[in-house]
Amino acid sequence: MLQQIDTFVGPEVNWFALSPMLTLLGGTLVLMLAGALTPPWPKGLYAFATATIAGAAGVLAMVQWDDITDDGTRTLVAGVIAYDTLSMFMTITICIGVILVAMLSDEYLRGTPNDGPEIYALYLVAAIGGIVMASANDLIVLFLGLETLSLAMYVLASSNRRSGESAESGIKYFVLGGFSSAFFLYGIALVYGATGTTNISEMVTALQGGVDPFGNESLALAGIGLLIVGLGFKVAAVPFHVWAPDVYQGAPTPITAFMASVGKAAAFAAMLRVLVIALPFYRDDWRPIVWVLALVTLVVGSVLAVVQNNVKRMLAYSSISHAGFILVGVEAAAHGAGEADPGPGMASVVLYLILYSVLVIGSFAVVTVVARNSGGDSGIDSFKGLARRRPVLALAFTVFLLAQAGVPFTTGFIAKFGVIQAAVEVDSYAIAVVAMVTAVIAAFLYLRIMVAMWTSDPAEGAEPVAVPFSTGVAIAAAVAFTIVVGIIPGWLIDAADQVTQYAR
Amino acid sequence: MLAAEAGATGPIAFPILTALILVPVVGALLVALTPKSRPEIPKVIAMMSTVGTLAMSIWLMASFETGESGFQFVSKHTWIEPWGISWHLGVDGISLFLVVLSGVLFPLAIAGIDPHHDEKPYLAWLLLLQAGVMGSFLSLDLFVFFIFFEIVLVPMYFLIAGWGYENRVYAATKFFLFTMLGSAFMLVGLIATVAIASRDLGYTTFDLVEIAEGAEFAASTGRWLFFAFAIAFAVKVPLVPVHTWLPDAHTQAPTAGSVVLAGVMLKLGTYGLLRFGLYLFPEASFWSRPLWLTLAVIGIIYGAIAATMQTDLKRLVAYSSVAHMGFIVLGTFAFTTQSLSGSVIQMINHGVSTGALFLFVGMIYERRHTRSIAELNGIQKVAPIFAAGFMVVMLSSIGVPGLNGFVGEFLILTGSFLTARWWTVVATVGVILAALYLLWAYQRVFHGEPDEENENFPELKLKEGLVLLPFLGLIVFMGVYPKPVLDRIEPSISALITRVEENTDFVEPAPTIQIGEHDSTDDGADMEGDE
Amino acid sequence: MADLVWLIPAFPLAGFLLLLVFGRRLGDPNAGYLATAMVFGSFASTVLIFFDLLSKPAEDRDTVVTLFSWLPVGTFQVDMAFLADPLSIAMCLFVTGIGGLIHLFAVGYMHGDAKFSKFFLYLNLFVFSMTLLVLGENLLVTFLGWEGVGTCSYLLIAFWHSRESAATAGKKAFVTNRVGDWGVMLAMFLAFSAVGSLSYSVINESAETGELAASTASAIAMLLLLGAAGKSAQLPLYIWLPDAMEGPTPVSALIHAATMVTGGVFLLTRINPVIAASYDWVPTTIAWVGVITALFAATIALAQNDIKKVLAYSTVSQIGYMMLAVGTGGYVAAIFHMITHAAFKALMFLGAGSVIHGMHEEQDMRKMGALRTVMPITAGTFIVGWLAIAGVPPFSGFWSKDEILLFALADSPALYVVGIITAILTAFYMTRQVIMVFFGEAKWTSAANEAEAPEPAEGEEPIETHDAHGEFKPHESPPVMWIPLVVLAVLAAFGGVLNLPKLFGIPSGVSYELEHWLEPVIEFGEADITGTWAYDNKYILVAIAVAAALSGLALAWLVYTKKRIKPWEPTLFANGWYYDAAVSWFMGTPGREGFQVVTDFDAKVVDGAVNGVGVAVKEAATEVRKGQTGYVRQYAGVIGIGVVLLLGWFVVIRGIL
Repeated sequence: MLQQIDTFVGPEVNWFALSPMLTLLGGTLVLMLAGALTPPWPKGLYAFATATIAGAAGVLAMVQWDDITDDGTRTLVAGVIAYDTLSMFMTITICIGVILVAMLSDEYLRGTPNDGPEIYALYLVAAIGGIVMASANDLIVLFLGLETLSLAMYVLASSNRRSGESAESGIKYFVLGGFSSAFFLYGIALVYGATGTTNISEMVTALQGGVDPFGNESLALAGIGLLIVGLGFKVAAVPFHVWAPDVYQGAPTPITAFMASVGKAAAFAAMLRVLVIALPFYRDDWRPIVWVLALVTLVVGSVLAVVQNNVKRMLAYSSISHAGFILVGVEAAAHGAGEADPGPGMASVVLYLILYSVLVIGSFAVVTVVARNSGGDSGIDSFKGLARRRPVLALAFTVFLLAQAGVPFTTGFIAKFGVIQAAVEVDSYAIAVVAMVTAVIAAFLYLRIMVAMWTSDPAEGAEPVAVPFSTGVAIAAAVAFTIVVGIIPGWLIDAADQVTQYAR
Repeated sequence: MLAAEAGATGPIAFPILTALILVPVVGALLVALTPKSRPEIPKVIAMMSTVGTLAMSIWLMASFETGESGFQFVSKHTWIEPWGISWHLGVDGISLFLVVLSGVLFPLAIAGIDPHHDEKPYLAWLLLLQAGVMGSFLSLDLFVFFIFFEIVLVPMYFLIAGWGYENRVYAATKFFLFTMLGSAFMLVGLIATVAIASRDLGYTTFDLVEIAEGAEFAASTGRWLFFAFAIAFAVKVPLVPVHTWLPDAHTQAPTAGSVVLAGVMLKLGTYGLLRFGLYLFPEASFWSRPLWLTLAVIGIIYGAIAATMQTDLKRLVAYSSVAHMGFIVLGTFAFTTQSLSGSVIQMINHGVSTGALFLFVGMIYERRHTRSIAELNGIQKVAPIFAAGFMVVMLSSIGVPGLNGFVGEFLILTGSFLTARWWTVVATVGVILAALYLLWAYQRVFHGEPDEENENFPELKLKEGLVLLPFLGLIVFMGVYPKPVLDRIEPSISALITRVEENTDFVEPAPTIQIGEHDSTDDGADMEGDE
Repeated sequence: MADLVWLIPAFPLAGFLLLLVFGRRLGDPNAGYLATAMVFGSFASTVLIFFDLLSKPAEDRDTVVTLFSWLPVGTFQVDMAFLADPLSIAMCLFVTGIGGLIHLFAVGYMHGDAKFSKFFLYLNLFVFSMTLLVLGENLLVTFLGWEGVGTCSYLLIAFWHSRESAATAGKKAFVTNRVGDWGVMLAMFLAFSAVGSLSYSVINESAETGELAASTASAIAMLLLLGAAGKSAQLPLYIWLPDAMEGPTPVSALIHAATMVTGGVFLLTRINPVIAASYDWVPTTIAWVGVITALFAATIALAQNDIKKVLAYSTVSQIGYMMLAVGTGGYVAAIFHMITHAAFKALMFLGAGSVIHGMHEEQDMRKMGALRTVMPITAGTFIVGWLAIAGVPPFSGFWSKDEILLFALADSPALYVVGIITAILTAFYMTRQVIMVFFGEAKWTSAANEAEAPEPAEGEEPIETHDAHGEFKPHESPPVMWIPLVVLAVLAAFGGVLNLPKLFGIPSGVSYELEHWLEPVIEFGEADITGTWAYDNKYILVAIAVAAALSGLALAWLVYTKKRIKPWEPTLFANGWYYDAAVSWFMGTPGREGFQVVTDFDAKVVDGAVNGVGVAVKEAATEVRKGQTGYVRQYAGVIGIGVVLLLGWFVVIRGIL
C-alpha cells in the first residue's frame, strides 16, 4: 500500500488537450468561491460569467478540433480519456447548452432564494460530468462522469424550494437514478469480469483477440444488458423512461431544458462510447435490443404525448420520442460498429443531439416565460391566444414546434433526415418507417399547441407576457440557429461526419 | 437532358426559376414586416409580388423552347454538399403550365376575396404557399422537391386553421396529418432510392436526372420504392380511399385557400406521379397500372356519386374534384401520348374551372353566409350576370366541348381507350354524372323563385367581375384553341413514353385496333341494353 | 365560293357576340331583328354555296375548309374544319331558312318578355351550334355542335327558369342527352382507335374499303344509335322531349321539331357507310327502334289534350319514321322526310304558338274550338300542315312518308305494317287536334273566365304579351307572326317537289331531285330496292298510303265532329304508357337511395376509419397513461421488468443457462 504510494507515478498529462474540462472546472471553483465571498453580484452577472466560462470551454474545444483532425485521435491520462472528435463535438454541444440555459435561468432565478452562484456552478459541474461521459475511454471514468452529472441534476431538479413538485421530482429522480446507476455499475463489473479490463481500448483488443478470453460470454452479455439499462435510463428510453415525465414537469423549467439537452446529449454520447466503440464485438447481440428500445420509445413517446394537457409534460414525452429517433441512429451505427467505415450512424446521432439541444432549450425558454406569466402554470390553456398577446414569441415557439415536428427548412428536419438516411443506408427500413409514422403522431401534439396559440383567444385578464432580455436573446439565438442551420446545414454535417473517427 | 441544360443557359443568365421561388418569399417577409399602423400596405406588397411572379411565369412560357422535350432554364448549384444535394431547378412541358397556373391563380385569389380578419399574416402565408408550390413544380432534386412538397402543408394549415369556417381546426389538423403521413413513406422511399442509386452511380446524389439516367433499379426494388412515393401522391391527388381529408379541408378553408388547394396543390400529387412515378420508376408504374387505373375509375364514379348527394355547395365542388382528378390519374397510367397530354392539360383546366367555382361559392357565402344548397334558391332571377358566369364555369366543369374542361377529359379518354378500353368505358359514365350533380345543384341554387332571404342577393360587383374575367377568358380560350399549350406539352410526354417503352415491354399502340368478334356483339348488347 | 362555308356559322356567332355585348341596349324588338337578320344572312350564304356546288360535277361537290388545328396530339389530329357537301348544305338550307322564319315569328311572340334580348342571344347561339353540327368535317366538330345545341336547348327549355317545371325539364333534357353522348363519345374513341382519325372522310373511306372490321363498324353504329336516340328522342331516351315543351313555343318549333332533334338522323346518315359495313342486325335494330318509337309515340299522341304535347309526341313519332328510313337504307327518304317534316311541324308549332298567344297562354285544347273564325290565317296555315303530316297528297308529307314506307316494305313487311298503322294513327290524332282547336263549338268564352280567375294556373307567371283587358277574345296574331306561317305553309304544301317519284307520268327531269343531289354522300349506304316487289308495285303502296291517311281522317271526323263513335283515349296512352313515370320513379327512389348509400358509406366507413385511427391512438394512450401513476416504487417495478425482459432476451436468444 504505502510503497505503492511512494512508487506512484502520476501519468504524464497533456493539459492543453484537457483544457475545455479544466476551464469549466476552474470556472466552477472561481464562481463558487468568489460568489461565496463577495456580496451578491449585480443582476445577470452570474449568468454572464457562466456563459463566458462555457463559451471559453467551447472555443477551446473547437481549437482542439483541427488538432485532432490533423494529427489524429489519441488517448489521454493513461488512456482513460479519449481525445477525439466525438468528445470535442459533445463538449461543444454541452457548452452551447450551458450558455443558453444560463441565459434563460438568469431572469428566472431573479428574486428567488436561488439567485446566487450555486445553480450556475451546478450547471458547470453537470457539464463537466457530461463531457467526461462523452470522452471517457474507461468505463470507470465514464461512471464517474455519469455520477457527477446525475448528482448535479438531482440537486438542480429539486432546487426550487418553494415548489413541492420540484422537491418531489428531485427525490424521484434521485431514487430512480440511484437504482439505475446501480445496474450500470454492476454492468461494468460483469463486463470487467468477462474481459478483464474496464478500459475501452483494451476491452476491444481483448475481445478481438479471441472470443471472450475468460470463456464466459454470458457474463459479458449480462453486463451489456445492465449497461444498456443504465444508459437507457439516462436517455429516457422506454421502458426506462418512467421518471422523465414527472421529473421534467416538476423541475424548474430552465432545469428541464438543461436535462433535456445537456443530460440527453451526455447520455447518448456515453451510449455511443459503451456500445458502439467499446463493444462492437457483441453488436449483433445488443443491436436488436436497441432496435426494440427505439421502436417502443418512438411509439410510447409519441402516443402518450397526444393525451397530455400540460405543455411541459407534452415536451417531456416529445423528448422521449426524440430519444427514440436518436436510438434509430444508434441502431444504424451498430451495423457498422467497429469497422473501418462505420457508416453514417454515429454522425447522424451527434448531429441530432446538437440540433435537438438548441431546439429543446428554445422551446422550454418560451415555456419558461409563458408559465411565469401565468403563475408557473404551464397548462396548455396558458398558451391560448399567445399570438394575440405576443405574436413574435408565438412565432418563435411555432418555429421550434414545427422544427420538432420535422418540417423542412428547420434543423429538426435535417436531424430527422440524417437519422433516417443512416437507418436506410444500412437497410433498417422497418424502424425508419416506424420513426416517420410516429413523427406524424407526435406532430399532432405540436399542432395542438399551435392551435392554442394562434386560433383561440387569450383567457380573461391575461396580461401581456414579459420576455426578459437575456431569455429573449437566448430564444432569438435558438430561432436563428434553427432556421439558418436548417437551410445551410452543410458545414455542421461535415463536422458530424468527422466524428466517425474516434479514439480507442 | 444535358443538351437542354446547355441550351437553357443560353438565352438568359438571370436565374428566373430561383426568382420564381424567392420573390414570393421576399414578398411574404416584407408583408410580415409592415407596421400595424399601415394596414393598407400588405395587400399592395402581396399584389406586387404575385403579379411580378405572374409576369415572370408568363415570360417563362413565352421564351420556352417549343418542341424541346428536355428541361429548360436549368439552374444547378451545390447546396448540401456532404449529402450530395444540389439546388437543381428546371422546367419542361409537364411543369411549365403548372408553374404558369400557380402564377395566375395567386394574384386572382388574393384580389378575389379579402379575409375577414388579420389580413397581414393571411397574405404572408399565401405568399409562402406560392413559393412552396413553385418550388415543388420546379425542383429536379429529390431532396429539394420533398422539402417544398412538405413545406406547403404549413401555410395551408395556418390558412385553414386561422381563416377557415366553423370546423376549421379539425379540418386543418386532418389535412396536415393525413398528408404528412403520406410523405412519411415518401421520405423513406426517397432516401432509399438515393441509397440504392448511389451503389450504381458510385456516389451519392439526390439529383433526379442523374438518378433517372444513371441508376438501374431491380424490378422488385423499384416497385417498393415507387409505392413509397405513390402513397404520398395518392393522398395528395387524392385517390379513393385516401381522399376524405379533401372535402373537409376544402369546405373549411377560406375561399383563397380552396382555390389554391384545388387549383394547384392537388396537382402536386398528379405531377408527382408523372415526375417521380413514370419518369423515375417506369417499370414499376407500368407494372402497377391496373391498380391505378382501377382506383382512378373508382374515384371518378365514386366522387361523382358522392358529389350528387352533398348538401353543402362547397363540399359538392370538393367531391367533383375527386372525380376530375380521377380522370387525370386514368390518363397518366394509360401511357399514351393523348392520355398523358390530356392529363397534363386537364391539370391546368381543372385548376382554372374549379378555382373559379370556388370563387363563386365564396362570393355566395360572402353574400348569404351559408353554403347550404337548401338555403339558396332563385338566384338567377335576382342576379342574372352572376348566374351566367357560374353557368359558364359549370359547363366547363361538366366538360361541354368548346370550353376547357372538355379538352383534357376527351384527350384522356381517347388516349386511354387505346390501352385501357374497359376502364375508359366506365370512366366515360362519369361524364353523365358530372352533368347530373352540377345541373341539379344549379337548379336548386339558381332556378326557381327566390325566397325572402335570397331576393336581395346582390348582383356581381365590378371588382368580382374583373377577377372572374381571366378565368372565363381562359375557360373559353383553352377550349377553343389549346394548340399552343399542347404543342409545348407533347414533346416531354413523348419523351416520357419513350422512357417507359425502353424500360418495359410496353409499346404505345398505333390506332389501328379492330375490336374482337365477341367484343362487338357484347358491345352491341351492352350499348343497346333495353332496345 | 364554297370556301366561304365558314360564313354560315359566322353570322349567327356574330349575332351571339353582338347580343352578348349590346343585347340589353338594343332591347325589344331590335335585338330580335338583329338575330333574325343574322340567321337570314347565314341562309343567304348557304344559298350561294348551294348554287356553287350545283355548278360543279356531282363527284367533286365536297369542299373541306380548315380553320385551325383544334386538338393536335401525336397521331390524334383534329381540325376545326367544315365540310360543304350536298348533305351538309341541304341541312343548312332548311336549318337556316326555317330557323330564320322562326326567329321572325319569335320577335312577335316574345314581345314584351323581360328577357327578350337574352332569348335571341340563346337562339343565335343555337343556330351557330346547329350549323357546326351539320357542317362538321369530323365527328368532334359535329360533337361540338351536338353539345352546343344540347346546351342551348337546356338554356331555352329552362328559359322561364323561375318556373320549377321548366327548370326540371331543362335539366332532364340535358342529362338524358348526356346518356346518348356517352354513346357518341365511345363511338369516337372506337373510331379513333380503329382508323386513327375522326374525320368522316377517313372513317367512311375505311368502311367502304372494308378496312373497318364489321365488328368495329357495328359497335360504332350502335353507339351512335344510342346518341341518336338521345338527341332525336327515340326509345328508350325520348322522355325529355315532351317535357321540353316547357320552353317558349318558338323554341319548340325550332329546336324540338325542325332542327336539333333531327341531328341524330343526320349523324347516322353522315356515317351511312359504317352502318352499311356493319352486321345486318345493326340496321335492322335501327329500323325497329324507329318504327316502334313511331307507333309508341303516336298512341300517346292520341290522348293528349295539351296542344303542344300532341305536336311533341307527333314529332317523336315522325322522327321514328326517319329512323325507320335510315334503318332500311332509305337515307334520301330520311332526309326528304326530315326536310318536309321541318317545314310542316315548324308550321304547326308556330301555329300552336299563335293560338296560345291568341288564347292568352292557354294550351288546353279542351278550352279551344272554332278558332278558325277568329284567327283565319293561323287556322288556314295550320290546316295545310295537318294535311301534310297526315300524308294527304299532294302535300309534302305524303311524298316523303310514301318513300319511307316503300323502303320499309322492301326491307320487311312487318316494318311496313307497323308503319301503316302509325300513319293511320297520325292522321287520326292530327285531325282530332285540328277539330278540337279550330272547329266544333267555341269553349273559350269559358276559358276567358278561367283566364280571369284570381290565381293563374300552377305557379306559372303569366307573360302578358299585351295589356290584359277584362273582355276576352282570341285574336289573330300580328303580321310578324303570321308571315312566317304563310311562308312555311307554302313550303309544307309543295315541299314534295324536292323528290317526286316517277309516278303519274311525272317527267324524270323533275323527279328524284333530292336523291340525285345527295347521291355522292349516300350512294354507298343507300339500299338498292330495284326489283323488289315493293318497287314494282309502287301504285299499290300509294293507294294503301292514301287510304290509310283518309281512313284516319274520316275516323277522327266521325269521332270528334259527328260524335258517332265515343272517343277512345285510354289513360294508359294519356300517361305515355307510364314509361316516363317509371323512369322518374327509378331515378327518384332506388337510384337516389343507392347514391345515398354510397355517400353514407363515404362518410361513415371510409372517413370513419380515418377518424377511428385518431380515436384509437387516444384510447390506447389513455390506457398506457394509467401506468404513469407517479409512485416511485411502481416506476422502479417497471424498470425492473425491463431489466428482466432484457436479460431474458439474451437467455432465450443465446441459449445461455
